[in-house]
Amino acid sequence: MTAPAPPPAVRSRRWKDRIGSPVNVVGAAAVALVLGAGVIAVAGGNPITAYADIVTGTFGSRSTITLMLGEVTPLLLIGLGLAIAFQGRVWNIGAEGQYLVGAVVGGAFAILSPVQASVVLIPAALLVGTAAGAAWGWIVGKFQAVWGVNEVISSLLLNYVAIFGVAYLVRQPLRDPDYYLPQSKLIPSAARLPDLPFLDVHAGLLIGLIFVPVVIYAMGRTPFGFKVRVLGMNRDAARAAGIDTNRLIVKVMMISGGFAGLAGIAQVLGVESRLNNNLDAGYGFTAIITALLGRMRPLGIVLSSVFIATITVGGDIVQRSQQVPRAAVFVLQALFVIVLLVADKLARR
Amino acid sequence: MSRITKRFGGLAAVDEVDFDLRKGEIHALLGENGAGKTTLMNVLSGLIQPGSGTMEVEGRPARFRSPQDAIDRGIGMVHQHFKLVSRLTVAENIILGQTGGRRLRLPDLHEVGRRVEALGERYGLEVPPGAFVWQLSVGEQQRAEILRALYRKARVLILDEPTATLTAGEVDRLLEGIRVMARQGASIIIISHNLDEIMSAADRVTVLRRGKQVATLDRDETDQAELARLMVGRDVSLVEVLTSAGERREEGGEPGDADRRVVLEVEDLVMSGESVSPAGGGARELRGVNLTVHAGEIVSIAGVEGNGQAQFEEALMGLRTPDSGAVRFSGDDMTGARPRRVLERGVGYIPSDRYRHGLVRELSVAENLVLDRIDRPPFGSPLRLRSKAITARGAELIDRFSIAVRSAAERAGTLSGGNAQRAVLARAMSEELRLCLAAQPTRGLDVGAIEFVWQQLREQRRKGVAVLLISTDLDEVMALSDRCYVMYRGRLTETPLDRDRIGLAMGGVAAESGAGVR
Amino acid sequence: MDWAAVLGAGALIPLLNAGIRLAMPTGLAAVGEALCQRAGVLNLSLEGILLSGALGSFLGAYYSGQAWIGVIAGVGLGVAVAALMALLSVTFKTEQVINGIVIVLLAGGATSLAYEKLFGVTTTPPRFDTLPSLKIPLLGSIPGVGAVLFDQNALVYISILAVGAVWWVLYRTRFGLSVRAVGERPDAADAAGVNVDRIRWCALLVSGVMGGLGGAVLIVAQLGLFRDNITAGRGWVAIALVIFGRWSPLRVMGGALLFGITDALQLRIQAAGGGVETGVPFELFQALPYIVTIAVVVAATAWARDDAQPKSLGFPYEKEAGTRED
Repeated sequence: MTAPAPPPAVRSRRWKDRIGSPVNVVGAAAVALVLGAGVIAVAGGNPITAYADIVTGTFGSRSTITLMLGEVTPLLLIGLGLAIAFQGRVWNIGAEGQYLVGAVVGGAFAILSPVQASVVLIPAALLVGTAAGAAWGWIVGKFQAVWGVNEVISSLLLNYVAIFGVAYLVRQPLRDPDYYLPQSKLIPSAARLPDLPFLDVHAGLLIGLIFVPVVIYAMGRTPFGFKVRVLGMNRDAARAAGIDTNRLIVKVMMISGGFAGLAGIAQVLGVESRLNNNLDAGYGFTAIITALLGRMRPLGIVLSSVFIATITVGGDIVQRSQQVPRAAVFVLQALFVIVLLVADKLARR
Repeated sequence: MSRITKRFGGLAAVDEVDFDLRKGEIHALLGENGAGKTTLMNVLSGLIQPGSGTMEVEGRPARFRSPQDAIDRGIGMVHQHFKLVSRLTVAENIILGQTGGRRLRLPDLHEVGRRVEALGERYGLEVPPGAFVWQLSVGEQQRAEILRALYRKARVLILDEPTATLTAGEVDRLLEGIRVMARQGASIIIISHNLDEIMSAADRVTVLRRGKQVATLDRDETDQAELARLMVGRDVSLVEVLTSAGERREEGGEPGDADRRVVLEVEDLVMSGESVSPAGGGARELRGVNLTVHAGEIVSIAGVEGNGQAQFEEALMGLRTPDSGAVRFSGDDMTGARPRRVLERGVGYIPSDRYRHGLVRELSVAENLVLDRIDRPPFGSPLRLRSKAITARGAELIDRFSIAVRSAAERAGTLSGGNAQRAVLARAMSEELRLCLAAQPTRGLDVGAIEFVWQQLREQRRKGVAVLLISTDLDEVMALSDRCYVMYRGRLTETPLDRDRIGLAMGGVAAESGAGVR
Repeated sequence: MDWAAVLGAGALIPLLNAGIRLAMPTGLAAVGEALCQRAGVLNLSLEGILLSGALGSFLGAYYSGQAWIGVIAGVGLGVAVAALMALLSVTFKTEQVINGIVIVLLAGGATSLAYEKLFGVTTTPPRFDTLPSLKIPLLGSIPGVGAVLFDQNALVYISILAVGAVWWVLYRTRFGLSVRAVGERPDAADAAGVNVDRIRWCALLVSGVMGGLGGAVLIVAQLGLFRDNITAGRGWVAIALVIFGRWSPLRVMGGALLFGITDALQLRIQAAGGGVETGVPFELFQALPYIVTIAVVVAATAWARDDAQPKSLGFPYEKEAGTRED
């Protein structure tokens, strides 16, 4: 991102403003690691060996790297959408629900579709899932635009509606009658996302990586991205300059929900075999952490999603080796964000 | 106070200023906007801490870490923009932050009210103590602020631009009250740039210019001309612009009679909205506004701040939707149109709050200059921003409007007040306009910048643009307008261009029978 | 389904009685949040405060066998979480929305971690008996009213007192006056000698006390056990109730009571219908509280004629920026 220097008018902010000074990042990381060590110690583990286990355990074998990249995929996709929303200070915390809706609607489409040719079915199912997530986000945006309903509240509460909605769908209409547990029929094999060459990771990761430059370009070099950034900087000035902020908020919520929906359907087509109540894996919330750690920038989110995926997979390993409960990972993630927030603030003083 | 210095960033707002105040005197602090008057007084009232320098109060050294420290030493400040909470009552505002007495529970508000009434009677500054601040007129709010300082036994009272938004009658009443206080031993500082007022009320005058102390003089040893020269630092011709600008109105020449098309027509505009009344009820902010502006004329809306000007401004620009009534541009109905449509009809907008509605501090100056057309060629197509075109337009406008900035890529947040306003003007006037809405366009600017803004507005008029000027500054209204309306409690009244008539209308005399309080 | 058993006159008193009980955790949290927002702090960490209060009270009550120790521990943990929120939002002045969300996630992780570390993963979670009903002599014998209001467990009475106390603090004390001023015009309050940040810190701590107490009521008086995310979004519902109640503690509590009664009603319909056999899926009933909350917030924001929201809600107070001339 350094050379050649972009034209100054659009890219006036210096590198330091975007990433923060290196000292700041290193300092924050050090504090976070020490705090994390405290958490691990309290949870009954040995911090030093635990950290070592996380790194060597995750990168030590092909299968764990595969696991890690599998975790990266939903975090990256949702995180990209959240980055767009957060840059516009549209606080979408309903990604969990948007992910679920995308997963179930897209998955149902794949199961029920009369056409079962992969070339058509896969893209169509991905589109349907994305559209479903976008629609779930649209509700939030519309409530905000029309009635001024706080998007934090509405998006969060819609998560619960989505959870119970999915529970109903897999218990009743989509249920496979041959099984006692509420779950759908198998996702047809024609709809399965292929694995990437040389890796055991499904193509969702590739989709996510393709979207990285797309989002960078859209946010930095298009009028749309510009307007979203202005929305985040000064909503009143945006309005007075003729930017239709209400429509923009709806669009942002749809894009952000669409990314979450895409993550959901990609997970269903790539990883899950059936639709059931365990689809709700918390990616929507972890992605908030991912987006914040990645400073709401696409490249940052690539790094932070790898980081979060590493401590997630590593956390499972440490759980087995040192009996540190998996929940410790969530504590670590949140602590890292808090340290980063404070470090940013202190650096700006 | 001696050798007080306060810097904001690299700029010294107050630079080694000495100031002394005698018991029982009225001391005026004179200077242009940005001369450092308010900063100096904020230091004295403990709101901000000086970078260097020392203070003594009644012979003992003082160092204020907070307004509370200053209040404890008998210093009370009445801010230009009142520091009153509108959703609380007068009595509640008066005891807010007060220490002493019952620690936990509020003091008996009826008892407080009685004491406030007694104080008010003593100085002729009556305010109903049980009324909510949002129910009060501007003059009453100011009295409430003064009473708060007195209630807290202030022996030094600082009044920041106390007459800027008052009607003539209220000014007389205020000055009389101040004289009574001074006679009874209080010391009073009046911050002002109004020479008449200073000559009539003050015992001594200290003049500040660009943060530096220029002189401290007895009133009897000086005159308006000298003070004006000291304040501006040049010859007094510019000051004439400010004090007796009415005569300069003809400068732009009369608009051609042929070109008297109606550009803006507002009919019976009513807007209720966010009232701060705790009981709800939606107080009407605009209560039937009628207005016509023709091409090639400057029409002013004068009036004391808070009578609905900001709401009218937002309703015209489509930032808020009126309940009823109509807004027409060149005959087309634009009531409740979105801001985008309003702008596209050739409306140039200079908002009253230039940072809230005008500039985006975090963006570059160039980006700000094309903010309203960022998605249109040549600056952007749906899939691409054209940075070169943006930079080029930025450079061009920076040059044309003499915006002092190192480069077009500099952030708008680094611009000084005057240059920020030049940037707002540049954006609004960079294309052919039909209507220019300028709200409080010179508020807080120095003389040079004011002259520039006036020039630009006159230039628009000359080009046949309809100019609607919303201003609380009577000098400005007198200097620029062809016609004038006065806004009072959400209604407009057309008023002859006569200072006294306008002053009366601002107090509601012409608008409603009896200027009484609700 | 036997509708008489659900809605009949005989069912009304137990319904209202249960409604009041069910309203308390959310209501307490919401009333605390109302005070906090009146001071200008958007405390989105409320769900985390409730959850921590729930865990604290469970641990306290489980290990000591004393309900009141549970309550104290719950309040203590709630206050600790609120203090973290205050440190970030008031002292460091970082973005309040982000602080709140991250703290909720932190509390979710930390409570799960602590519980699993102490009790392991079991299919039969440890439980204790919830508080018995404590019928107040005389008042409890008033027909109707007595059975609804004065035949409750001790924590319900304490909760009612706590709500009254918050109202009293907000409208009758110096602190409350400062709170109301600081949320509207922090600069004005500052000029009048009020320490804005201190007031906001205290308001957040009050919100911590109320939220912690809410969590404790949920566990000690109602459930008697703990599991991950046991508060199930009650903190978010509480924030919605603040909007619904237009930032007035009593109206907020009124909203919470309506909410509790609705909750009691849907539980009863579910129980009476036996779930699966009715035409309406039981998931709809489970989702109903959240749907109702969204609807209620939409209605409250759409129809509000007055702008009751504190003017500086969500904005940290930065001193010198606001006082600069020009």
